[in-house]
Amino acid sequence: MTAVRAQELVKAYGRKRALDGVTLTAGTGVTGLLGPNGAGKTTLLRAVATVLAPDEGQLRLLGMDPSDPKQRVEIRRRLGYLPQEPGFHRSFSTFEMVDYVAVLKEQTERRARHDEVRRVLELVGLQDVSSKKVRALSGGMRRRLGLAQALLGEPELLVLDEPTAGLDPEQRMRFRDLMSQAGEDRAVLLSTHQTEDVAALCSSVVVVDRGRTLFTGTVPSLVAVAAGRVWVDEVRDPSALAGWRLGSGLFHHVGNPPAGAQLVDATLEDAYLLLLGGQPAQVAA
Amino acid sequence: MSVTWHLDDDALDSYVAGSAPPALAASVEAHVLACAGCRERLVPAVALPRLDRIWDDVVERIDAPVPRPVERLLLRLGVRDDTARLLAATPSLRAAWFLSVFAVLGLALLSAHATDRGVVVFLALAPLLPVAGVAMSYSPLTDPVHELATAAPYSSLRLLVVRSAAVLTATVLLAGAAAMLLPGASWLAVAWLLPALALTAGTLALSTWFEPLHSALGLATLWLAVTAPAFAPNSDPLLVVRSGAQLACLAVLVVALGTVAVRRDAFSLSMGRSV
Repeated sequence: MTAVRAQELVKAYGRKRALDGVTLTAGTGVTGLLGPNGAGKTTLLRAVATVLAPDEGQLRLLGMDPSDPKQRVEIRRRLGYLPQEPGFHRSFSTFEMVDYVAVLKEQTERRARHDEVRRVLELVGLQDVSSKKVRALSGGMRRRLGLAQALLGEPELLVLDEPTAGLDPEQRMRFRDLMSQAGEDRAVLLSTHQTEDVAALCSSVVVVDRGRTLFTGTVPSLVAVAAGRVWVDEVRDPSALAGWRLGSGLFHHVGNPPAGAQLVDATLEDAYLLLLGGQPAQVAA
Repeated sequence: MSVTWHLDDDALDSYVAGSAPPALAASVEAHVLACAGCRERLVPAVALPRLDRIWDDVVERIDAPVPRPVERLLLRLGVRDDTARLLAATPSLRAAWFLSVFAVLGLALLSAHATDRGVVVFLALAPLLPVAGVAMSYSPLTDPVHELATAAPYSSLRLLVVRSAAVLTATVLLAGAAAMLLPGASWLAVAWLLPALALTAGTLALSTWFEPLHSALGLATLWLAVTAPAFAPNSDPLLVVRSGAQLACLAVLVVALGTVAVRRDAFSLSMGRSV
C-alpha cells in the first residue's frame, strides 16, 4: 500500500499559493522532499501530518482520507511527526516531555507508557539525560528528542520536517542511520534542502519548487537529469545556468555545455540546480 | 570462612518461585553470595522473564519522573496520572498566570472599596479572567507543543475541555473568594459567574473559526464596550449584572455551547496560521 498519495494539492494563504498543485507518492523506504526555502515543503508536510487541510486536491494517507474526522484520528494513531520547529515545554525533563506526547498518543497505561518512553529515548541515545530539563539540552539533543517523540508507538508513517537542520556532521551521520533503519519497514517522508542527505539515505526523491512538483523518481534517475550537462573550465562561462569556482581553481558549470567542453560526472546537486533553473545564490562558492 | 551448610531443595524452589517468606529469602540471598555451589544450582532455576520483570520494576521505580507540584495536587484530588500530565502542560496553569489573576482581582477589590461605583470595575474584569486563561490554555501562540498535539490522536476537543475545566475551576475559585470581599449586596458575589461562563463558552465557539487568543481579544473588547455605560456617572453601576443582562448571558452560553458541539471537529486542525 502506498503510504502517501497526494494529488494536485493546493493551499493558499491570502493570494500566496504555498501549494500550487503539488503531486507526490511515498511508500515503504525513505522519500526525500527536496526544494529551496519557501518551496512549500513545510506546508506539504503539515498536510501529510494531518495538521492542515489542503484547499483543493486529493490526499490519501495509509489508504485513508484525512478530511474525514474519524479516519483522521485513525491516521494519527499510525503517524509520527517531527515539525520543523517542534516546541517543547522547557521546564519538563526529557522523560516528561516524551511522556507528555505519549499521553497525547493515547498511551494511557502508565507503566507501558513509561517503558515505551524509555525505548525511544534509548533509540536516539538520550537515555542518560532523561532527567535533565529540556532547556538544558543542546540543539542536537533537542533534535534527537524531537525524533524520539516521533518514533513513539512504532508509527507506520514518519513525517520529518528538516530533521538534520542544525546538526554537526557526526550527529548528521547518526541521524541518517536512525532514519535509514526506520525506513526499512515503514514509510519515512522527510524534507531537507541538503542534497547530501538525499544522496546518503533516500530511496526516492521528490523535488518541489513554488508549490509544484518538478521531479519524482529515484536518486540515480535524478542524477541522470544532469548527465552531459556539467563541465569544468579554466575561466567562468557566463552562458552557464550556474557556475562556481572550485578549490582547484577550475570553474564548475551546470547548463548547456559549449562544443568541446570538458564534461565531468554529474552529482545530485548539479541535477537539482538544473531543475530549479539555476540559482547561483543557492550555492556557496 | 568455609560454608558448612547448603540450601535444601525446598528453600531453593520457594526462593526461585518468589514465595519464600522474607526471613528465608534474606537468608538464601546471604548464603548464595558466599557459596559458589548453591549459586550454580540457583542460576539455571531462575526464569528469565521473571528476572526481566523484576529489573523493569527496579528501573521504573528509580527512573520514573517525580510528579511536579501541580501533578501531585491533581493526583491527590483523584485525577488520573495521564490527565494530570496533560494538565501540567497547560500554559495558563503556571505561577505567572496565577500572579496576574491575583493582581487583577486585588486591584478590582481595591477599586470596589475606594468609591461607591468602584464595584463596576470588578464586575467588568472578573468575567474576563477565565476567558484569558482558557484562550491561553490551547492557543498555538501560547502552547509550544500545539503542533504536535494537533497531529496526535488524542481528541483536541477533549484536551480543550479538560484544560478549560481546570483553568475555569481555578480561576472561578479565586475570583469567587475575592467576590466575597465585595462591599454591597451579597448576590454580587455570584453575579459575575454567568457572564464569565458565557464569555468563556463564546471564546471556545469563536475559536472554531479563529485563533483562540484573537477570539478572546475580540470578545473581551465587545464585553468592555457593553459594560462601558455602567462606568458613566449617574448610570446604574450594576447594569451588566441585572436580570436582563443575566438572561442575555444565558442565551449566549447556550448558543455558544451548541456551536462548539456542532463544530467540534474544527478543533482537530490547525487554525488561522500560515507557517
